[in-house]
Amino acid sequence: MKSAILGFGLSIPSRKIKAEEIAAAWKQDADAMISSLGVTEKTVPDAGEDTFTLAFEAGKQAIEIADIKPAQVSAVFVGSESHPYAVKPTSGMVASALECDPFCHCADLEFACKAGTAAMQIVDSMIRAKQISHGLAIGADCAQAKPGDALEYTAAAGAAAFVMGTADNKNALCQIDQTLSFTTDTPDFWRANGKDHPEHAGRFTGEPAYFHHVREATKGILEVGKIDPKEIDHVIFHMPNAKFPNRIAKEFGFTKEQMEHGFIVPTIGNTYSACSPLGLAHVLQEAKKDQRILLVSYGSGAGSDAFLMTMLRDGVKLQPDTRETTYIQYSEYQSLVKSH
Amino acid sequence: MELPLPVAFTFSPMRNTPAANHRAQKNLQQKMQEGTILSFTTVRHPPEGFPVGPRVIGLIELEDGTKVTSPLLTSDASSLTIGMKVLPKMRLSRVNDQGLRTYDISYEIPVQKPVKQEFPGYVLALTGPSGVGKTTVSLLLSTTVGSYVERVPILTTREPKEGDADEYIHVSPEEFLALKNEGKLATSTSIPSRDEKRWYGYRTEDIEAIWEEKKIPMIITEMNLLQGLASHYGRRSILSFGLMPPGKSKRQKLSALLHRLRDRGRDTEKQIEDRMKNAEADLEFFAKRSELFDDLIVNDDIDSVVGQLGGLVLERVKA
Amino acid sequence: MQSPIYLTGTGQTRFGEHWDMSIKDLMEESIDGAIDSADCTALDIDMVVVANMLGEVASDQAHLGAMAASLLPHHPPALRAEAACASGSVALHTACALLESGKAETVLVVGVEKMTDISAGKIAAGLMGAADAEKDAPSGLTFPGIFGLIASRYMHEFNLSREQLNHVSARHHKNAVSNPFAQFRKEIPAESISTSPKVADPLCMLDCSPISDGAAAVILSTKFKSPIKIAASQLATDTLSITDRPTVTSFAATKDAMTAALEEAEIDRSDISHIELHDCFSIAALISLEDMGFANPGEGIALYEKENPMTINQSGGLKACGHPVAATGIKQVIDVSKQMKESKSEYGLAHNFGGAAATCGIHILAYA
Repeated sequence: MKSAILGFGLSIPSRKIKAEEIAAAWKQDADAMISSLGVTEKTVPDAGEDTFTLAFEAGKQAIEIADIKPAQVSAVFVGSESHPYAVKPTSGMVASALECDPFCHCADLEFACKAGTAAMQIVDSMIRAKQISHGLAIGADCAQAKPGDALEYTAAAGAAAFVMGTADNKNALCQIDQTLSFTTDTPDFWRANGKDHPEHAGRFTGEPAYFHHVREATKGILEVGKIDPKEIDHVIFHMPNAKFPNRIAKEFGFTKEQMEHGFIVPTIGNTYSACSPLGLAHVLQEAKKDQRILLVSYGSGAGSDAFLMTMLRDGVKLQPDTRETTYIQYSEYQSLVKSH
Repeated sequence: MELPLPVAFTFSPMRNTPAANHRAQKNLQQKMQEGTILSFTTVRHPPEGFPVGPRVIGLIELEDGTKVTSPLLTSDASSLTIGMKVLPKMRLSRVNDQGLRTYDISYEIPVQKPVKQEFPGYVLALTGPSGVGKTTVSLLLSTTVGSYVERVPILTTREPKEGDADEYIHVSPEEFLALKNEGKLATSTSIPSRDEKRWYGYRTEDIEAIWEEKKIPMIITEMNLLQGLASHYGRRSILSFGLMPPGKSKRQKLSALLHRLRDRGRDTEKQIEDRMKNAEADLEFFAKRSELFDDLIVNDDIDSVVGQLGGLVLERVKA
Repeated sequence: MQSPIYLTGTGQTRFGEHWDMSIKDLMEESIDGAIDSADCTALDIDMVVVANMLGEVASDQAHLGAMAASLLPHHPPALRAEAACASGSVALHTACALLESGKAETVLVVGVEKMTDISAGKIAAGLMGAADAEKDAPSGLTFPGIFGLIASRYMHEFNLSREQLNHVSARHHKNAVSNPFAQFRKEIPAESISTSPKVADPLCMLDCSPISDGAAAVILSTKFKSPIKIAASQLATDTLSITDRPTVTSFAATKDAMTAALEEAEIDRSDISHIELHDCFSIAALISLEDMGFANPGEGIALYEKENPMTINQSGGLKACGHPVAATGIKQVIDVSKQMKESKSEYGLAHNFGGAAATCGIHILAYA
């Protein structure tokens, strides 16, 4: 019996900073940065938001949409690069705050930007193994970037959560048909213990890192799923910027229409472990019954998780965000990111 | 190994110990309810252990009748009123000097009602900087295709002044905020001026009344209201036209506006200065948010503009 | 009172910033003043009751009963009473009970507070001990914040304007001009109150009583007579947190203590000529007058907008005199007794509360 997503949720800070604001602070060319990265604004967590609060809010929404009681959740896995503690699991805090039953499998994951999809794979396995009936997989991050580095334009904050259960559940929304992972040891992007900010390897993060792993994982899943790119209705790739996913999409012949709903990076930024999960959360609102979805994440270090999914019923629209977006200045941005 | 300590938080004394932290978790679950604001204040100097800077704190009555004091999340304390509904939100409250984190529930104000799902009807929106000629265009449209369009009055808290036609409905700030909280405004925005903050908005009942008459509501508006309207009714409902002043370069366009504002004679030099600043922002808005506009029209020949717009209106009405 | 309790000695320090005085120094000055003005000698003192709230927080010092007793040559028995800002009236009440029971015939009551040795931020955190640490403190409230919530609600319920509220602090400052013990003796025009820096909207700096060092001491005795008697000493309590109350614009503890005090003294409120009430924040003055029955709810401000036959905070109150927390309740009794002697009035009242009136102590004095 396959597993399926029963409910999903997302949590995105209401504070944002515009690329032009960052460019002005560093006397860089805003238009050049925007055209090369494709990101015009990104989310910024405020002083009271962190990976736990975002993961909690997303998880709460996912449980509501799934229409289950929190006590039915028997596993919570949270993937992030910015867990609030080095030792004290976010997953335990989320399970407790959501009032899941204490008899619950919990652990935190780290695999750069693919820790959220890794969480989904683990919950998927536990359900298929009949070890649990419902599980919660969350990707959440308050991403860090070195001031003045190009990453500053894209490193954002957000969370996406998925309640998963068996595919025959009355609320089953999106079935996981296939999933696989492709992993190597590739030093494209890393953060050493005790360091505030990550390091990245410039152009090495392109072909040997992102493109190689996403390509292999995509090829693999298309083969295993015996499916042609044309048959896929919605495609979500990890979005470190706007260019990379568009380029890999072109390689496989995926069109703008196929990419449309999951392509969220231009006005949110790269939410790291929440990035492709948030793309999926947007797709799940628009997709229709029987449509096929391809999700390929990428985590530096490096690896890619690929999923082939089928909508079991029409997508569910989430309540639109009821808060006003506040655009902040660079000085406020600096003091806010210091506290995470 | 040195753990990086958050800078925004100062060190707390004895509070926030592990056992107290653990006991406090029970309260979190009880506080996750919707509530109503009974009172609020802005604590300018929080006590030691909290982040430096003003904190808006509310006395909230929760759905089950219990009361709590909690931070209120708002970018603008002056828009809060007693009686507003609030929603719970998990927040990081403090970090002690051992790095132990305390979370608490804050409450936030929901701003807008959900977007209507069905297509409600068209709204004709003319956006552009002051002095570009929006009012003139709309008045002329009312005469040429007046049986198909009707101006939506704009609600404002600013004082009536000379030169105001009957386009404004003046209300007090309290009335405005009450309407906003009751969800009766399709969109609203506040525009700071030199002395005070003025609110502007459109009532959903005014727009819907025009639809009842099988006419297209027409608004003369600015970027925030346009954005809000597109969110409220859906982008496809808005027939959105940007009116630009004539001129090849930005400098020429701004110069054209300045002349028109001076000729109009309705504003003081200070007011004109304010308007010119907004005008620059408006022109940039056309470029950056081109997706909000169906077309940008240069207003150098009023008759052809009115003709163009009138034609587009008739097309929609017949469709 | 079963046997009359006389107020036979009074002494206080000026309230203010005493950088060169410790808790012990402050106590000593006020005790010396009390003994000097009393009919008895130091050796006649049977017991010492000390009122103090922040000794541990601000000075790492508990055990103040023994410290005060050690200032007297014979080290009499001693204890310390605490009820936040009501510590003073609670100490007085304790002394009255000791006297009424016969356990002592002459009791020295001294209230002391040393607040200026630590930062304002730490003091604000310490003062929150007067509220509910688990319900009120976690949100980041300070006491100005709690009374800001109360003031905001009061203004909403009763349409009190910011301009009207200015009259409270303005009047208190005017009264203090002639009080040599007051921290601030300068008149401040009403408009300046609301233009002072905001502390907890709508309350501004000049709506809030200051942080002060000080001590005040009295000697109460059933043996040594004087023209001033304690006609009533009553305490009442309420929930610590305002979130546990049906209303925040009226304090049940004040109402209860007032009813009991008037009954004990067998008088009517119209018999009272002088009151010193607990204006920790300007709004508290209005609410207290209403709770004590001197005005209808929402109409307390009328007593500040005009002159009254009954004087209110003639000393300058907490705002202008300063508010060394535990000393206030005792200093109020000293001021009422002075006012009564001067005007030769029969009855005066001291109203003191702690936290958001979670404890209220009311003393009625009689002058013969």
